[in-house]
Amino acid sequence: MTEVASPQELSKEDLLDAYRTMRTIREFEERLHTEFATGEIPGFVHLYAGEEAIATGVISHLGADDYVASTHRGHGHAIAKGCDVKGMMKEIYGKAEGLCHGKGGSMHIADLDKGMLGANGIVGGGPPLVCGAGLSAKVRGTNQVAVSFTGDGGSNQGTTLESMNLASVWNLPVVFVIENNGYAEATSTNFSVKGIDIAKRADGFGIPGVTVDGHDFFAVHEAAGEAIRRAREGGGPSLIECKVNRYFGHFEGDAQTYRAENEVENLRCEKDCLDNFRRRVASAGLIDEGELDRIDEEVKQLINEAVEEAKAAPDPKADDLLTDVYVSY
Amino acid sequence: MAPGPVTVGVIANPASGRDIRRLVSGASVFDNAEKGSMIYRFVAGLRAAGVERALIMPAFSGVYESLERNLRSHRAIKESPALPHLEYLDMHVQHDAHDTIEAVNLMLEQRVGAIGVLGGDGTNRIVARHCDDVPLCALSTGTNNAFPEMREATVAGLATGLVATGRVGEQAVRQEKILRVGLDGDPRHDCALVDVAVSSERFVGSRALWKVGTISEIFVTFASPESLGLSSVAGLLEPISRQAPYGLHVRLAAPTVAESVLRVPFAPGLVIPVGVGEAERLEPGKAVRLETAAGSLALDGERELEVGPANEVEVRLDLKGPLTIDVGAAMREASFRGLLNGRAD
Repeated sequence: MTEVASPQELSKEDLLDAYRTMRTIREFEERLHTEFATGEIPGFVHLYAGEEAIATGVISHLGADDYVASTHRGHGHAIAKGCDVKGMMKEIYGKAEGLCHGKGGSMHIADLDKGMLGANGIVGGGPPLVCGAGLSAKVRGTNQVAVSFTGDGGSNQGTTLESMNLASVWNLPVVFVIENNGYAEATSTNFSVKGIDIAKRADGFGIPGVTVDGHDFFAVHEAAGEAIRRAREGGGPSLIECKVNRYFGHFEGDAQTYRAENEVENLRCEKDCLDNFRRRVASAGLIDEGELDRIDEEVKQLINEAVEEAKAAPDPKADDLLTDVYVSY
Repeated sequence: MAPGPVTVGVIANPASGRDIRRLVSGASVFDNAEKGSMIYRFVAGLRAAGVERALIMPAFSGVYESLERNLRSHRAIKESPALPHLEYLDMHVQHDAHDTIEAVNLMLEQRVGAIGVLGGDGTNRIVARHCDDVPLCALSTGTNNAFPEMREATVAGLATGLVATGRVGEQAVRQEKILRVGLDGDPRHDCALVDVAVSSERFVGSRALWKVGTISEIFVTFASPESLGLSSVAGLLEPISRQAPYGLHVRLAAPTVAESVLRVPFAPGLVIPVGVGEAERLEPGKAVRLETAAGSLALDGERELEVGPANEVEVRLDLKGPLTIDVGAAMREASFRGLLNGRAD
């Protein structure tokens, strides 16, 4: 059975863990931004930088056997769920030692041993998966919880709305997290989410919906703690809309002509979740900034090693072409 | 200089009514589409009372779209009400509290006669900090809402219009009280219209204050046993009217050790035991210094300030808070004096 801490109790170790996770995601993504430009990485990558507080704030409440279903922008969720960072980097480089033996790439990173049901190239693909995972937990009588992450674009998909209905009908231990970063690919939510707030949609299915600042780890952590506690105790599904921004384009190579001049620079100055976290834990006297600096250095070293090892790792062989592709029942 | 058209400002907070209390209590989300419809009904009331122009804070997330839909759908109907000239303020929207502040400042520049506020206690607190002596019509679209009232927007628009045009007198406008919160030598660092609570919660987090066990003391400007939230603690101890020239300061204690325990309607669907230590009247002008351990200060039900032992925090009751429109009084005067008699324009 999953054992997790009370939602609101954050020890110094919890805070350091949260910072390390957020910093690892940031460093991973910033480095990929640089490396992708060299042309060595196959396929597409969609970077999560700017949104780290959400994955970290939500998944810090989950145990190893809880489930996460992610999006095409899934690196942050995978790191927060405990996937091996070096294995992830090798996967993104398409190497045989990658988490999915190089067959998944950025958009299909999965590690079922960690409860990571996978990044997902299908927009709105995660919510139906967590209905299945949630139903499984309910039927087996475990107290596992399944959390899906979906973007604002995905929130408009029928799959998401159907899943909210199904989860409510079956009272599943599921949390739908909507990462509203303001753009569905290049289309502003002002033009694509019409009339009704995303959080409000939960009302239509008889489940609670809340909106939180997705830049603020503490806000996300508190709301997610209550939603996950509620799901674990039989209270059924809920929806958390996190208002946030991404620092990079929809995909690497996106010219981002749809964004205002200096939009990202201003966001980095004013809303950065890591800066915000550092300032607040330091001013509260909970953590010395030197400890956070040491984490920064350790994470930088980890990501350097991950990139070097990924580049040096062997490619899959032609003989592996059909392995792990088909399932025999 | 010739007087300009009678103008009223309208601010609707697209973020109100969707905080964590949906998860921990039975509260529901307040729909932004309904806020847009409320603006439509409010400005219809304004025009019927003689207001010529309304300045509206631009707000996305469905508020603006709902208003536009109402305007389009009613334009073609002959019987639709006349409306004042509507203008959206020309401002850069940042999607946070800065929008409300900038909107109020622009409205003051344009000499509005009143401001309609659609939001909760928190929204009204921000408007009150910046609106000088312009009267507010506070309409509830938040969660606990001790300060704004649940009113039909059409009637609120009529009352606001009657005040803005000067057709009803001072009896339709209330001088509210306000709690000034001083921080580190700045006596007006922030304020609260209804209550200030000292919480041991280290971080602002999801803002809403819903765990009573973390609260050590509260200050209130007024308190009704009929209201919901922190102020209802004081309301059950000693009801205090909006007009009373004092407030109340209550120290809380754990229900297991407190001499007195109240069952308090703290949030929608949440009635909880609250232990009471001491309670004393809060006299105007007297600064009460807080002994702040690490924690946070909640203003009108939302955690706003993270404070530590090094901070000097004080709370002071000020009887000269914002002016608000007493919708009931305005409409009674309109009835008594026949201000709304006669055919429509």
